[in-house]
Amino acid sequence: MVTDQQNHHDEIEIVRVGKVFGQGDTAYHALIDIDLAIRSGEFFTLLGPSGCGKTTLLRVIAGFEHPNSGTLRIKGVDVAGQAPNQRRVNTVFQNYALFPHLTVAQNIGFGLKMLGRPRAEIAATTDEMMHLVKMDSMAARKPAELSGGQQQRVALARALAPRPNVLLLDEPLSALDLKLRKEMQTELKRLQVETGITFVFVTHDQEEALTMSDRIAVMQQGRILQLGTPQEIYHAPTTRFVADFIGETNVLNLQVVAVQGNSAELALPSGQVVSARLAAGLVPKQGDTVAAVIRPEQATLTTPDAGHMPATVHNAVFFGTDTHIHLTLADGQPFILRRQNNAGLSDPEQGSQIGVTLAQGALQILKGD
Amino acid sequence: MNRSTHGWKWLLVSPALLVLVFAASGPLLIVAVYSFLSPGNMGGVAWEFSTEAWFRVFFKRDIFEPENVALNADFLAVFQRTLWLSFQTTVICALLGFPTAWFIATRPPHRRMIWLFLITVPFWTNLLIRTFAIQELIRNNGTINTLLQWLGITSRPIDMMYTDFAVLMGMSYVFLPLMVLPLYAAMEKLDFRLVEAGYDLYASRMQVLRHVILPLVKPGFIAGSILVFIPSIGAYVTPSVLGGGRSMMVGNLIALQFGQGRNWPLGAALAMLLLVVVVTALIFYLRVTSRETGERHG
Repeated sequence: MVTDQQNHHDEIEIVRVGKVFGQGDTAYHALIDIDLAIRSGEFFTLLGPSGCGKTTLLRVIAGFEHPNSGTLRIKGVDVAGQAPNQRRVNTVFQNYALFPHLTVAQNIGFGLKMLGRPRAEIAATTDEMMHLVKMDSMAARKPAELSGGQQQRVALARALAPRPNVLLLDEPLSALDLKLRKEMQTELKRLQVETGITFVFVTHDQEEALTMSDRIAVMQQGRILQLGTPQEIYHAPTTRFVADFIGETNVLNLQVVAVQGNSAELALPSGQVVSARLAAGLVPKQGDTVAAVIRPEQATLTTPDAGHMPATVHNAVFFGTDTHIHLTLADGQPFILRRQNNAGLSDPEQGSQIGVTLAQGALQILKGD
Repeated sequence: MNRSTHGWKWLLVSPALLVLVFAASGPLLIVAVYSFLSPGNMGGVAWEFSTEAWFRVFFKRDIFEPENVALNADFLAVFQRTLWLSFQTTVICALLGFPTAWFIATRPPHRRMIWLFLITVPFWTNLLIRTFAIQELIRNNGTINTLLQWLGITSRPIDMMYTDFAVLMGMSYVFLPLMVLPLYAAMEKLDFRLVEAGYDLYASRMQVLRHVILPLVKPGFIAGSILVFIPSIGAYVTPSVLGGGRSMMVGNLIALQFGQGRNWPLGAALAMLLLVVVVTALIFYLRVTSRETGERHG
């Protein structure tokens, strides 16, 4: 009964999928035992550095690569024997891959034409899609006559026109400049909400992942390291890789004083004891040294004798909206603190002594590397 | 300053221009002039103006009643067969060349060079030798017929020599690389992600071929077709060795006038007509293909 219900909510089920390129000594394991369920109608992001297997996983879903092991189900149906053109899944390619010999309208209508839909329906859907991506006036243009952002919109419209169950997006924003990228992030999210289509988005840009996704899977070397909402991934990373990859972070090596349930008491360099959350499945022993993370914005400046621990100011870097203050703790470990520039405070002087207060419950203990 | 650099430009291109003018236009001009002269007794031309050669290209007089004029159906038939054989050769080369070029273009880059090199290997041998080699294959007691009879597939040798089939086979073999190379050049530039995009958008293999690959490699087809069709029309060695007198092409007809026929003006007139046919066909072909492109894309 439980699995039945899952089938209704999961658009894509990936069960122990493995993919190996090459053979023997030169074999490259692109995907290792991937287990993943992507829910219907969610904006799902595969996040990781280049070579982590995220694009391979996307190509497996699209049908361009065949997994060496495991099962892939789309809407509960095993798609192992289905070619890309038989899967109700469309891709927005990294380089857009628009057909250079066809106009904008013909590009957008291509999928429907191949599906053998009537001419009138193709024309109507094409118009609708061009309106959706705000390209109404460009119908007769060729891709070569469009800017990068416009090509991006056409690629989106082309992939959405056949109303796929799932839209796969392979780093679609990486070729755009910063301003356009921000615009398209909002645009993509809007399209996803409006169409209700499941989006599977591949990116190496953590900010992009955080702003758009319902859920994120962080990948490294062919494995999924952590799966969760942007908030979970950001505030409760379970491994050092995830903590480092997503935003700026402080990793402190601290000694365990006591363990209680899913939290532990840690001794700070100052000798003060604070409570920290444990990553799931982690059971450290008293006296162990563990790595604990805390985001720079979860610490505040105070006077040297107040707060959780004293520190020496190394330097302060101005970022516009906020200032990053680089500190050195009593035992020599570096620490970064982020302060918003709305209070009109002056930067602390280099070499001066200050105190650091950690936000309640912000420390998170990582699994060992 | 500008003027002098302009002058230098002409000076620098002058060697090429001279070669073009004297080696291409010069002989052409001579042929054009010869076509309006009278034949000399021992070949060559007599310097008297005459339109007889042009008359004879299109019409023939009855030997016994010179006033009785009829359309020269024999020459017309040769021209017709030449165009038809050249067209067939182009189609055969396109059909064989496409999968070949596709095969090469889809190999890993370092292997492609080897395949391209192999494609050009026949060019290393003299055309005449290669044509005689084909003759050795297809003649009545040649390799193919001997093999077929030995296997008991046929009891009598199949007549292949001196047929249109032999000429087609020979020309397709000779001109195939001229189709493969431009097709390969077009396919090498083809972005294979577009093929994936086609599959992704519900196109079957045949639909991807028709709607994505063929339109994109079309320039290769156009270049290849021209490169095969034009030399086919003027082919001489292949039809004379493999076609004999029965399957004559324009090239042989012209050579005949300059040789045994001892009618240089007639040969010159036929050559000029061939030139006109080729240029007309070329212009027509380019206009049709470019209009099609404009329509489909516009």
